[in-house]
Amino acid sequence: MVEARAPIVHTKALTKAYGEHTALDALDLRIEAGATGLLGANGAGKSTLLKTLLGLIQVTSGEGSVLGHDIRTEGPSIRQRIGYMPEYEALDPRMDGIHQVRYAGELLGMNPVIAMQRAHQCLEYVGLGEQRYRQINGYSTGMRQATKLACAIVHDPEMIIADEPSNGLDAAARDFMLQTLDTTVRNGQRSVLMASHLMDDVEQVCERIVLLHKGRLVAEGRIEDLKAIDREYEVHVWGAAEAMERGLLDRGLRVRRQGRVMRVADDRDDLPREVLEVAAATGAQVRRLHTYEASLEDLFIAIMERLGHDVKSSEDLLAGGAPR
Amino acid sequence: MSETPVEDHEVRFDEASPVTGASRIEAAYTAEDHGQASVAKSGSTGQVFTQTYLPWTGTLNPRWARNWAVYRHHMLGLVRSGHRPWPILIRVYLVLVLIGSVGDIFPVLLGSLFGEGLGQVFMVSRDSLYAHVLGFFPRNVLYYPVVTALIVGTMISEDRLNGTSALYFSRPITRFDYVAMKYLAAASILFILCVFTLLVYYTVEVLAMGRGWSWIVDTFPLLLGAVAAGMLLVVTYTSLGLAMSSVSTNGFFPAIGLLALILGSKSVAFLVALIFEQDALYLLSPYDALANVGQALVGTESNYELPWTWSLVSVVVMNVLSLYLLANRVASMEVTRE
Repeated sequence: MVEARAPIVHTKALTKAYGEHTALDALDLRIEAGATGLLGANGAGKSTLLKTLLGLIQVTSGEGSVLGHDIRTEGPSIRQRIGYMPEYEALDPRMDGIHQVRYAGELLGMNPVIAMQRAHQCLEYVGLGEQRYRQINGYSTGMRQATKLACAIVHDPEMIIADEPSNGLDAAARDFMLQTLDTTVRNGQRSVLMASHLMDDVEQVCERIVLLHKGRLVAEGRIEDLKAIDREYEVHVWGAAEAMERGLLDRGLRVRRQGRVMRVADDRDDLPREVLEVAAATGAQVRRLHTYEASLEDLFIAIMERLGHDVKSSEDLLAGGAPR
Repeated sequence: MSETPVEDHEVRFDEASPVTGASRIEAAYTAEDHGQASVAKSGSTGQVFTQTYLPWTGTLNPRWARNWAVYRHHMLGLVRSGHRPWPILIRVYLVLVLIGSVGDIFPVLLGSLFGEGLGQVFMVSRDSLYAHVLGFFPRNVLYYPVVTALIVGTMISEDRLNGTSALYFSRPITRFDYVAMKYLAAASILFILCVFTLLVYYTVEVLAMGRGWSWIVDTFPLLLGAVAAGMLLVVTYTSLGLAMSSVSTNGFFPAIGLLALILGSKSVAFLVALIFEQDALYLLSPYDALANVGQALVGTESNYELPWTWSLVSVVVMNVLSLYLLANRVASMEVTRE
C-alpha cells in the first residue's frame, strides 16, 4: 500500500450551482496520494466534481486545490500535471494507436519526437505493444480503453483521473485494466482517482473511497476503516430461524435474514454469547457462527440505508440514478 | 522446460558442402562473432509481457508548443500519415484546385516564350488580379467554397462526433487556442490556394516577362488590393464554415450548409435583382458582398449598384455573427460527456 502523504486534492466548502440546482454542496474533501474511488449515483455530482478538479468550470463558492494548484485560477497548470481518462469515446477512429497517443502528448507540450518515444512506452505498458500501428477503428472496446489510458499517462502525470475505466469491458480486459491501474499506483507511485459504479472494481484498485450523494459528501476514507461501520456476525442455523430472528430483534439487535442465514450487526461487546443464548431459547441449531467480512457493496448499502434509502444493491442506485 | 543451452557446435563449409537452405541459414548464423559458432539456444518459458511503469522526467513546453501541435496536426495531415487523417478524396480535390488556381500562370509562361500577344488577356491587370481571387466561375463556384466546405466541414464537428474534444480540453488547451488553431489551419489551406497562388502568379509574370521597377510600382497597389480582397474571402469563408461545423456532429451538414449559404444566397440575390430590380439582397450574399468590396479594393469596374461600404459592413457583420456562434458552440463542448 502507498503510504499516506499530503493531500493531492483538497476542497473546502466547495459549492457549484447551476441556477437553482446545486451540483456540489459545500464539499469538504481531502484525497491523499494513492488510489481513491469516487462513487455516486448519476446526478450525485461526480462529473461536476471532476470538471471542477480539472479547473474547467468556475465554482460558485468555496475553494480547492489539486496538487497544490488553485482550482479557481490555475486550471491549465492542473491539467498539465493530471492525466484524464474520459468515460466516453475520446479517440479519433481513423488514427492509429501510436499516433493518437503521440498527439495526446504533443497537446501537453511534449516535443513530437519525445512524445513518440513515450507513446511507444505507454502503449507497451497498457498491453497494446503489438497493436499500436493498427487503426483505432478496428480496436475492441478494451483496446480503446487502454489507448485512452495511454493518452492519460503519456506525460507521466502525478495523478490520473480515470472515469469509469472498466466500462464495457469483458472480464479479461477488465482485469487487465484494473491490474494496470493498480500497477500504476504501486509500481509507478502515481495517484489514481477512479470514478466507477462497479464496487468490485473500486475495491480491487482503491484503498480509499469518496462517496457523493446529491452533491454532498456522505462517506470518505479508507475502505477498511469504513467497513467498521458495517461489522456483522454471520449465523447459519438449522430450524426455527424465524423464531431466532424474532428473539434477536427482541433483544434490540439489528438482524438481516435470508433463509437460514442471518447477519447480526456487531454492536455489542459479547454478541456471540447473546446469539447462542437466543438460539438455545428458540430451539434453533447453530451450524456456523463467524464474523462477516463486509464488501464495499455491503458498505455502500449500509451507508445508503443510514441515509434513509431502501436499496438492495449498488446497481439500484449507481446505474439507475439517484433516489428521491 | 529445461533451460540448459544447446551445446554449441562448430560448422565447417568446404567446396563439397551442399548449397541448401539449411546450410545457408547455418552460414548466416556462423558469420557473426569472429567465426565463433552461434546457434539457437532454447529459451525459457514463462511470462512474455512484463508490465513495468516507466517514469518520464522531461519538461513540457509552454503554450506556443501546444498550439503549434494542433496547427501542425491539421496541416501535416494533408501530406503525411500519422497526423489528422484527411480523406483521400479531399486531398485529391485540393491538388486539383491547386493546379486550377495556378492555371493563369501557364498563359503567362507561354506569353514569355512566344510573345505577349498570346497571353495578353492573362497578364497581370486589374481584371486578372481580381479574377484570380474573386472570379465567379470557376474559382468561386468550384474552388474556394467547395474547398472550404470540405476542409472546414469536419474540423469541429468531428470532435463532437468522436468525443475528441475531451482530448483537447482535459489538457491545458484553452477553448480560444483550440478554435484559433483550427481556424488558422483552415484559413492557411484556403490562403495557399487563393492568395499564395496570386503572389506566385504575380511573381512569375515579373520574372518571366522581365518586368521592371516602373511596372512593379504601377501594379503593386493592385496586387495589394487583390491580396486584401483575398484575405477577406479567406477569413469570411473560414468563419462561416467553422460556425457551421461547430453546430453539427457530422461533416455533411456544415459542408452542404456552407455551399447553400454562399451559392444559394448568390442565386437568390441574382434572381431577385433580375426580376424585381432590387439589389439589396446582394448584401446578404457572402460572395456578392466580398465581390463588391473586392472590386473597390482592386479598382475594377463595379457590377453592383450598392455602395461597396455597405457590402463591407455586411462582410464584417457576417464575420462577427459567425465568430459569436462559433465561440458559443465551442464554449458548450464538454469534457466529461458530449
